[in-house]
Formats: sequence, C-alpha cells, structure tokens
Amino acid sequence: MVDKIKVKDLSCYYNKKCVLESLSINIAQNEILSIIGPANSGKTTFLRTLNRMNDLDVTYSRTGKVYLVGDNIFDMNMENLRKRIGMLFAMPIPLPVSIYENIIYAPKRLGLISKKSEQDAIVEQALKDASLWNEVKDRLSSSAMKLSGGQQQRLCIARILAINPEVILFDEPCSGLDPISTAKVEESMIELKQRYTIVLVTNNVKQASRVSSRTAFFLMGKLVEIDKTDRLFVSPKEKRTEDYITGRFG
Amino acid sequence: MIKLNPKLSQKLSYTILFLATVLAVVPVVVIIFIIIKNGASAITWEFLTSMPKDGMRGGGILPAILGTLSIVTCAIAITLPIGVCAAIYLSEYAKNNLLTRIVKLAIVNLAGVPSVVYGLFGLAIFVMFLKLGVSIIAGALTLSIMELPVIITTSRSALNSVPYSFREASLSLGVSRWQTVRYIVLPNAIPGILTGAILSISRISGETATILFTAAAFSVPHLPHSVLDQVMTLPYHLYIISTQIPNMPENVIFGTALVLLLMVLTMSFVAIVTRIYFRKRRKW
Repeated sequence: MVDKIKVKDLSCYYNKKCVLESLSINIAQNEILSIIGPANSGKTTFLRTLNRMNDLDVTYSRTGKVYLVGDNIFDMNMENLRKRIGMLFAMPIPLPVSIYENIIYAPKRLGLISKKSEQDAIVEQALKDASLWNEVKDRLSSSAMKLSGGQQQRLCIARILAINPEVILFDEPCSGLDPISTAKVEESMIELKQRYTIVLVTNNVKQASRVSSRTAFFLMGKLVEIDKTDRLFVSPKEKRTEDYITGRFG
Repeated sequence: MIKLNPKLSQKLSYTILFLATVLAVVPVVVIIFIIIKNGASAITWEFLTSMPKDGMRGGGILPAILGTLSIVTCAIAITLPIGVCAAIYLSEYAKNNLLTRIVKLAIVNLAGVPSVVYGLFGLAIFVMFLKLGVSIIAGALTLSIMELPVIITTSRSALNSVPYSFREASLSLGVSRWQTVRYIVLPNAIPGILTGAILSISRISGETATILFTAAAFSVPHLPHSVLDQVMTLPYHLYIISTQIPNMPENVIFGTALVLLLMVLTMSFVAIVTRIYFRKRRKW
C-alpha cells in the first residue's frame, strides 16, 4: 500500500497546553482510517491540523511534520492544501444559497470551470457521487437550507467532491443525524473509498467497525493503538483499547 | 418597610412602567402634531421648488433642500466605501492584539465626540488648511469624518452577525479569505450595512453645527453649481429664519421644519423597509 499521508512526531498545543503528543502515523491511499477515542483525546485537533483549519485559531501551535505524498503540508499554500484535503464538519454547514450554487461555489472560485456548460455536469456528477441526486434533481435552485439534516450533510460531501480532492476528512459527520441518514452517509463513504483517501473521526465505535479498513484509538492526546479494524475490534493489544471499545469507559 | 400584597405591587409596577413608556412617546407625538398643524399650510409646490423672496419671508426653500441633499449625498459617497472597507479589515483580517483593540475602542469613542468639535476641526483642516473654503465638499468631508465611526461600528456588527461557520465552510474548500469575504460574508452582511448607512444619512441630514462651520451660507441667490460652492441647508436655514429675521410668517418656519422632518423620517422608513425586505429573503 502506498502512503498518502505521513505524520512525523506531530504535537499540537492550545495556549501552550499540549493536546496531541508526538503522534506518528501513516495513512494509506484509498483506505478509510477511523479515529476513535473519548472527548479531549485530540481526534478533532489532529483532523483540523491535516488541512490546517486550526491555523485560524491564534491560540494554536504545533511542532512536527506532515507529508502529503512528499510535500510538507506546513510549507504548502493553504488554499492549495485545502483543495487537496477536503473536510466535512460535524454539523452540516450549507451556504445560504441554492443547492446548485452550493456545489458550484468552490469550483467557480478556484477557477476549475472554464465554460458555463461544464457547470451542470459537475453539479450532477457531484450529487450522484454523494447519492443525493435522485432526491434533489427537481429542485436544484431551491435553498440548501430547506434540506433535511442528512441531505444537508450529503450536500456538503457533494460540495467537497466537486473540487476533486485527494483526501477527505470526516469530523464526526453523523453526530447530528438519525440512523437512516447515518446509513446513507456511511454508504457514500464506502463508495468514495475507491477514489479518495478518507480519515474518519467518530464517537461511534460501531460506525468505525462498519466502514473503516484500519482504526486508531486516541486517548488523552496520545495514539494508544492502531491496527486493521477487524483485528483491533476482536483482539486489541492494549487493555485501554479493549475497555473503550467494549464500552467500559468513554 | 411596608409590605404590599403581591397583587397590588404587580399593579403598581405595571402602572409605573406604562407611564414611563407614555412619557417617552408623548413628546414625539406632540412635536410632530404641532409641526404639522402649523406648517402644513405652507407646503405648496411653489414652496418646494422656488427661490426665497422678500428677505426669505416668501417664496420657497429650494436652495436649502438642494444644499442639504448635495452635502448628504457627497458625505455618504465618501464615508460608506471607506467605512465598509475599514470594518472588513477590522472584522475579518486584523489580528486580535493590543493595537487592534485600541483602534476598536477609539472608533467606538469617536462616535461620541460632539458634532461642534468636528465642525471646528473641519473649519481648520478642510476650509482653511486645504483651502477648500466654505463649500459643499468641505462640509461633506467633515460630515464623513463624523459619520465614519458610526458606519464602521454598524458595518462591523453586520459582518459579525454572519455565522462564523459559513466562513469556515468556504475556507475549508480551498477558497481564499478575500473570496470568502467577497462572496459569502459581504452578501449576507449587506442588509445590516445598508440599514446603518440609511440611518446615518438621516442623522447627517439634520446635522447643523458641523455645517455651520464648513458649508452653510446665510443666503445664496443661486442654486449650487459645483462642490466648491457655499450652499444654504435646511437645518441652518431653519435656524436663521426663526431667530434672525423679524416678522417671519410662522407657517414658513414650521413648513421648513416639516420638510426637514419628512426627509429624515422618510430615510428612517426606507431603512426599516430595507431591513424587513432583506430579513424575509434571508435563508438562515
């Protein structure tokens, strides 16, 4: 397997307080890597470091290196990096415009579209890949705010797909969704694995076991254990991992 | 202490609160009523569209209306773009350090400086130092400086009312910060910015002290030709005809006040309608 992302000795701090300690981890191309762990274990911080959303926070600082196929992401232009590593947030955030405009917004701004005729094709493809097309094809011009929570979240996935990134980060994407919507989002995740590398942060241990090829367990800012998902869930090496996945704490 | 029974104290406090509200509303209603009652008879087409006659005792107030309109238009054309740009810088770009905090504090406090002080400043800088003379442009520049803190403050609160998550969503897609401001934040902040701007316009339409130093003339026999002309303005004209000219017909004084009042109220009304219109269109 080819490594898409290599994290070397990464430590993250808020107001000089360490929240993620010397993390080294490799993420393979076209895998879904789940990150599980209780609150305050540094999962989201790790995710927001990967596409540098945390750089917006003035209290945040970090040491260490992260490579995206050979390039250190901290030396890259932030816009280019975020185009290559997309991110889905815990709460769906549709922009306050139509469904169509939501999808086409980033490609337009990034100059990915040269002709207007390409727009329709991009919108259709992105919505199909996020398995939302059939539900919204007749009302593309209506407000994205009127969609249900699950539809909004898939719209946000479609919005990321429209700029064709290499890696997609999912930050507890189903925490606000009902089980049926969750199933749909998980379905599209497995579908997307063919073409993208996915990192999924989740509070839902079962979700990790359902969708991911490998799972990492974080605790108090440290990586406790990482292994193939089926192996980690059946025979974890660490006692703390076992306690967490069997629901004894967290 | 006397213990009132709950029912009585409820009634008492209700009455006091209600009376306070009535006291706040009554003077406004009385003012508007008196001005309309005494001034309505003066309002004719001729009054609005002709030059003053007989030492201002007759004729119309066209030059004063035009004077006020031209000064206000120039002032808002100068202050709005600068104010909005400064607000964008402070809200979206400036790092939250000591210097920024001092600047923000200064802006808020500048809004409280008395207008006569701005007038004196305008006289020294624009009229005398820059040699613009007493003119529309000198008055407009002074008013823009006076209004800038207000515009910046209202624009900033309009920008801040756009949810932070919209910015995050846009940035996470690789869209640059400026494009995020331009295509996501600004369109959603425009209703608030516009409302602030319109209220500023109505505020400076009635402004007298600043204009007195920098733009207004006792009487100008012709309509303004250029921005370097002195002009008559409604508030100053009102002051003159009610204090400086003997045997002034009362209905002309109140008529002038009515025109000024209508101008200001129209602006506020437009501001309210704009706000309602945009609030209905808002999708979040």
